Amino acid sequence: MNPSTRQTAATAREHDYPELVRAVRGGDRDAMERLLMRSQEVAWRFSLMVCGGADDAEDAMQEALLKTYRYAGRIREPEAFRTWLYRTVRNACLIQRRRRVDEPARLLSLDELMPSPDEGPRVPEPADRGRLPEDLAINAGLRRRLRAAMAKLPRTFRVVVFLREIEGLSTREVADIVGISEANVKTRLHRARLFLRRELEDA
Amino acid sequence: MTRRHSRDCRELIEQLSRLIDDDLSGVERRAVMRHLRRCPCCGDFVASLRHTACVCREAGHATLPRAVRARAVARIRRLLAHSGSPARPRRSRRT
Repeated sequence: MNPSTRQTAATAREHDYPELVRAVRGGDRDAMERLLMRSQEVAWRFSLMVCGGADDAEDAMQEALLKTYRYAGRIREPEAFRTWLYRTVRNACLIQRRRRVDEPARLLSLDELMPSPDEGPRVPEPADRGRLPEDLAINAGLRRRLRAAMAKLPRTFRVVVFLREIEGLSTREVADIVGISEANVKTRLHRARLFLRRELEDA
Repeated sequence: MTRRHSRDCRELIEQLSRLIDDDLSGVERRAVMRHLRRCPCCGDFVASLRHTACVCREAGHATLPRAVRARAVARIRRLLAHSGSPARPRRSRRT
């Protein structure tokens, strides 16, 4: 799937970060407010989907807010802001999370994720098959199941799913944020998709 | 009908995310599509993997609850009120 078809309405607005940052550098207060809200939204979603709950979200949002405020007026390359923001949020959330001990630390082997011989596709449908994915109405039950399935993924895989699949960042951006190779991003995303497929199917 | 994944299927499954992300070379893609045409089992599998990716994109992008958003807005207002200017453009050194 190419980048243009991956982009959802929810992630489309993420691509105007450079414009917002330039406006902030020009002293635009409204742009600053929008950028600060974006940074908090990212921190909240990261806390929810990667750290497994919203318990630490307010602290992470506060941290993202302050760092964005300090950084936005100084950034040299507005195009680099989005990567900076996600890296900052990731660090802020993980610092909060390190205090906890309930993280699954295992790897995902392909063997345990392979389909059973006779299975067919039984992943829950977001909506009826006749509609385009972009038009699908997602119900609350499916959101809960996805969140529960994400919580079972090892965090190193969860981060990749969040950044690549949910937030719509490119493989290169994810590699840069997480500090791994692009090949490793692709491998983790694939393993994670196989895992989530099985979990959603079993739910 | 009994359907079984062969060794070829196993190799193909490793490439399915690259297929749905449009990340295969022309040669790789043609080989995968050839396999999918003669293996309904893998055809079903790739459909379900696409659906999983779709579910992640659609169901994963949560919006802020109203109360959380209100607190986020309040934090922004406090910060900007406290600090005065929303952003300080860098001063030119050539003055």
